[in-house]
Amino acid sequence: MSTSTTTQPAVKMVTLTINDQSVTVPKGTTVLQAALGAGIHIPTFCWHPKLKSVGACRICYVEIEKMPKLQVSCATEATDGMVVKTESDIVKRGRKAVLEFILANHPLDCPTCDKGGECDLQNLTFAHGLDDSRFDFLKRRHIVPGVPSTFDDLRIGPEIMLNRNRCILCYKCVRSNKEAFGEYDIGAFERGNAMEINAAPGEQVANPFSGNLVEICPVGALTNSDWRYKIRVWLTQTTPSIDIFNSSGSNILFYKEDHKNRIFRTISRRNDEIDDGWITDVARYGYQLVHSPDRLQKPLMKKGSKQVPVEWEEAVAFVARRLAEIDDTKGCVCIGGLASPTLDLDSLHSFSKFMRKVIGTNNLDFRIDYRSLPEKPDSAFSTLSSQPFTIAEIDTSDVIFVFGSDLVKEHPNEYLRIRKARNFGRPLVYSVNSFNVKSADVADREFIYAPGTEEVFINGLCLAAIEENPGLSGADGLKRKISPADLNSAAKTCGVSAEDLKALARTLINGKKISFIVGDQVSLSRDREVIAAALCNLNRLVGITSRGQMAALARYADSIGAEKLGLIPNPHPDVKRALTDLWGGFPEMAGYHTEGMFSQMLKGELDAMVILGANPVAMYPDHEAVAETFEKLDFLVVADLFETETTAMADVVLPLASWTEFAGRYVNLEGRIQKAERAIKPLYESKPAYAILADIAAAARKPLFSSAREREEEIEKVLACTTVRPWPGDYLDVRPPAIDKDPAYPIMLIIGDDPHHRCYVTEKAASLVKFCSDAYIELSPELAEKFKVEDGDAVRVESKYGKLMAPVKVSRVLEGDVVFLPRNFSVTRANSLVSRKARIDWVRINKVSG
Amino acid sequence: MTFYSPVITNAAEVAGSDKLHLFRYVEDANQTKIETYESHGGYGTWRKVLTTKKPDDVIAEVKASGLRGRGGAGFPTGMKWGFIPKDSPKPRYLVCNADESEPGTCKDRVIMERDPHAMIEGMAIAAYAIGCHLMFVYIRGEFGHCIETVDKALQEAYAKGHLGKNVYGSGYDLDMIVHSGGGAYICGEETALLNSLEGEKGMSRIRPPFPAIEGLYACPTIVNNVETLTTVRHIMERGAQWYRTMGTEKSPGSKIFSVSGHVKRPGNYEVELGFSLKKLIYDPQYGNGILGDKKLKGVIPGGASTPFLTPDQINVGLDFESMTSVGSMLGSGAVIVFHEDTCIVWAILKLIHFFRHESCGKCTPCREGTGWLEQIIRRIEHGGGKPGDIEKIEDICGNILGRTICPLGDAAVMPIQSAVKHWRDEWQYHIDHGKCLVPTRFEFV
Ligand SMILES: Cc1cc2nc3c(=O)[nH]c(=O)nc-3n(C[C@H](O)[C@H](O)[C@H](O)COP(=O)(O)O)c2cc1C
Ligand code: SF4
Ligand code: SF4
Ligand code: FES
Repeated sequence: MSTSTTTQPAVKMVTLTINDQSVTVPKGTTVLQAALGAGIHIPTFCWHPKLKSVGACRICYVEIEKMPKLQVSCATEATDGMVVKTESDIVKRGRKAVLEFILANHPLDCPTCDKGGECDLQNLTFAHGLDDSRFDFLKRRHIVPGVPSTFDDLRIGPEIMLNRNRCILCYKCVRSNKEAFGEYDIGAFERGNAMEINAAPGEQVANPFSGNLVEICPVGALTNSDWRYKIRVWLTQTTPSIDIFNSSGSNILFYKEDHKNRIFRTISRRNDEIDDGWITDVARYGYQLVHSPDRLQKPLMKKGSKQVPVEWEEAVAFVARRLAEIDDTKGCVCIGGLASPTLDLDSLHSFSKFMRKVIGTNNLDFRIDYRSLPEKPDSAFSTLSSQPFTIAEIDTSDVIFVFGSDLVKEHPNEYLRIRKARNFGRPLVYSVNSFNVKSADVADREFIYAPGTEEVFINGLCLAAIEENPGLSGADGLKRKISPADLNSAAKTCGVSAEDLKALARTLINGKKISFIVGDQVSLSRDREVIAAALCNLNRLVGITSRGQMAALARYADSIGAEKLGLIPNPHPDVKRALTDLWGGFPEMAGYHTEGMFSQMLKGELDAMVILGANPVAMYPDHEAVAETFEKLDFLVVADLFETETTAMADVVLPLASWTEFAGRYVNLEGRIQKAERAIKPLYESKPAYAILADIAAAARKPLFSSAREREEEIEKVLACTTVRPWPGDYLDVRPPAIDKDPAYPIMLIIGDDPHHRCYVTEKAASLVKFCSDAYIELSPELAEKFKVEDGDAVRVESKYGKLMAPVKVSRVLEGDVVFLPRNFSVTRANSLVSRKARIDWVRINKVSG
Repeated sequence: MTFYSPVITNAAEVAGSDKLHLFRYVEDANQTKIETYESHGGYGTWRKVLTTKKPDDVIAEVKASGLRGRGGAGFPTGMKWGFIPKDSPKPRYLVCNADESEPGTCKDRVIMERDPHAMIEGMAIAAYAIGCHLMFVYIRGEFGHCIETVDKALQEAYAKGHLGKNVYGSGYDLDMIVHSGGGAYICGEETALLNSLEGEKGMSRIRPPFPAIEGLYACPTIVNNVETLTTVRHIMERGAQWYRTMGTEKSPGSKIFSVSGHVKRPGNYEVELGFSLKKLIYDPQYGNGILGDKKLKGVIPGGASTPFLTPDQINVGLDFESMTSVGSMLGSGAVIVFHEDTCIVWAILKLIHFFRHESCGKCTPCREGTGWLEQIIRRIEHGGGKPGDIEKIEDICGNILGRTICPLGDAAVMPIQSAVKHWRDEWQYHIDHGKCLVPTRFEFV
């Protein structure tokens, strides 16, 4: 869905000759890339397509006419008329000399090295037939003190082992960590041939992207403890898949052992339009949850007070019968459903059809963590979240604005993309949020607005834009619709100075190509419609989308798919029409969205729920979800991979197959449809959601689809509808609601994902647990000082609604009266502290003594 | 008042000359004080340049003078300044390279210790020429006293309004920062210096981009040696024409040579370029001959990274072209003299040990090659040399030369190559007999 209106300036081309072959490339291309593009192979060790060239290893020598010395092709720009030879005698001799230098100190331990079979050095050495060494001294050895192993392996991170003897000092690990990820937990120490790679003093290599370091190490110096020594790479098969923990859908590859139903590792499958070949640790190690011993193996049914294993037939028949009974006695308005936006398109569409055709209700939703939802489908926020956004367009943007997002936690992939834009271009980057975030390290400036003043800040930006350029159309009309309507009071309320607002407005007015990202502080806010209205006004005033892109980014692997398939009570009119055409009807009732269903449950007016792959008891941002809400249900059926807080309350629990166990399609935040192939057969008795729903429908004698083909055709038809909603035709009212604040609760609580976890499932991935195994309270150094706490001390966090205890982690990022609590751990349920009716989650904290 | 370090100079000769200029006041212990410096017309040139000349005029004058960099490579200074992009919106930086760590070189130190204001004045003029408002001096970490002296001079210059906001009411702001190095030879190499200044590990960067285009913080940057910048002050005081009356056509001006090793009178001497190497070693005013009146064995004329000259080659002018013509280089002007009792293997072992230790480790040939060379040379020196070792050394040197990111790799192998060429029989003797042909009769402590 690439809809960027800006066109790239024409690139100048240059033509050179490589090995008698004429090659034309854009100016600025390196000789190496020109050669690779023309299918001519040149070996490399230190070069990486997404990092700056450093010319360190010197293996990529080429001969260039008129240049007396050999040149490193990775750092030499191709110019017109250049004549390059990549395989001349002198090149071969030069390359061989480098190889000899590298091998001089490289242990020849290939048979015991885990990289064997996929090692660049091993391959090149074979290619050059070096079988004897002129180096007749003891090889350099980095001994690990206290470890009686001849391998000299050193653990430098929860998942990373380092063998410095094998390291060829290409610095790719250190460089990518710093350049691509903005992390400094690995470094090069000492100098010259005493140089060694190691973790930063006193630290572990444990950043959210750390697994990539292993992947790009050209030799076996860095290995994953996840994969090493388990299997030789030539005994594996690979399956292309995508990262379903992330809304970008980074492309990945699963490795499984031949003839065995087990995945052994994940690596990236570079897609330059999406991920540049970098994946998060969550994407890399997340597959482990598939093999967790905690997987649900068989359907469970509540018999008496206990859930007991039953056969599928019994469970399915029971669900069909109970739903039919409730429909008969109470009516289908009393049945609701929630499906996770991480499910595949087939499952999501089956769910929609099951709820609407089999049960006949519009009580369905996929928005599992939104606090308040608008009744009308064409709200300001739906406009904002339906806007097209193209990840790769970030690369060429000259202004990048990140609003209300803790980017590394919410959109790690886009964070890396902005870093790259900063490394290779000169965009102006602004990070604007109500608390300090790590991703602000890519920003030219970070602005912090007062808690709950998003819309005031955006109003201020509009007013500043008008002051900067009074000619902007409709300025007077806008001023009548917003309050406060003068720049200085807006500045005062939101705490960002009028000068700063003006400077920001100027960049937005002057930017040639803008990428404007709206994050969770807006999407998950109670008042997101008001904030979205302010953002619509801003776009109308300064015309951001006429010079780029602006969107509230989708958060889950298939959020856009769910939206496009109409998994909300009142879908886009085109979608509704398409579904009506396909099914010959559509439920009349208005239907309740997630929050509506909650309220109905609390009132005792919703009797049955069908939940697929979601855990609202633990994840829905409301303390009441934790308490009685679900107990009030007559009938609850939940399909999931694991037993969860929600399955615990269910009458029937069905084992769900994971995304690795069947072929599924997912729509990423750009609207790109991608496929995750089946890597392994479903484990135990688990089934994909679409199959479960088909079974229940069949048991109810209302078959969902006559064939898989019919299902696919229906999906095609629905996806063909555009769900992009037009911007409002006029300025919208933006009247900021009052912020509730009780002096007894002075600290703002932020709930989100730990950088090594997503939602509630990653607790089951052993490697991710090594990075972070339990909840913590991350607080600013000021608060730590104030409460006299250090890392590991227990604190009690208390809100009007609940309290919990967790150990402290003193933040390197947060400042002021803010604490962060991850929502990923079952023993510490963050949602017990919050109310869906609150704009800001205020808490107080106390040190727990003893 | 005494000097921190008692270095022999030819200040008296310079004072008596109407041309030589760098060392004119270096024996005056009060010269570090701004009052003394000003009493000799100090900062007058800076004032004149800032208030009456355009930056391009300064560049043109320095170009006309033919001044070539004194840091080692001899690159024409005015031409380098001309590479600064005219239309870049980024700030420009000037960095004075005072990391002086090339073995044998100790000339910048004399300037900083004894005439720091001359350097600051030269820097200010150069900064103005390239449109820089913030300049740095990166001083070798071991030179604690230089750092103190320069820092004190800097405070004085600020106090007197030679630096700071709106200098001399011209509207031009100029600030200066003194930065202490961390003790690595490689940080004298300009790109490693810039990395170090940025707080990164001191490792060289590949060129292009050259610092003039993307240097400090990826902004246009000029790196010049202390002596170069100090000379700029004198050129702007007396003019390019005057400067060209010294030296040779292609190497105009004067330069400081640091004479060390087996001479009777080691010291720093300012002489015109083209001055006879032989005279510098033997003339009583300068080196005053070989220690113990022994025979000369060889000379490294331009710092540890330049090839050896043999006694028959020293009748040569100390200028860039003449040095190249005899197969060596002028380098930083550190003349290191070896007499007949020096075992060449021993001397080369010291050198390769230094370069192996100082290699930044970024590129493979230098990092691995220097280590390998040191091991081979060490075993030869200690009697364990093997047949074929000399050929291996030559081969390894060939695989390093011209194959590295920065010139340190070349610097490490050029003296070795020349030593093997000139004294091959000595190497062979060492391997065959397990001991020196020339017993070394002195020890380093
Ligand atoms: C290994 C190495 C060490 C160097 N050390 C110094 C030094 O200590 N001082 C210096 O001025 N230049 C040194 N240089 C030269 C600088 O890289 C650079 O060329 C010089 O500072 C430029 O100044 P100039 O143009 O005034 O000569 C060194 C170069 C190399 C390769
Ligand atoms: S550990 Fe691997 S990636 Fe890092 S420098 Fe060594 S060889 Fe390169
Ligand atoms: S030549 Fe030596 S010092 Fe220079 S970059 Fe390479 S390793 Fe570093
Ligand atoms: S790949 Fe070009 S120098 Fe390493």
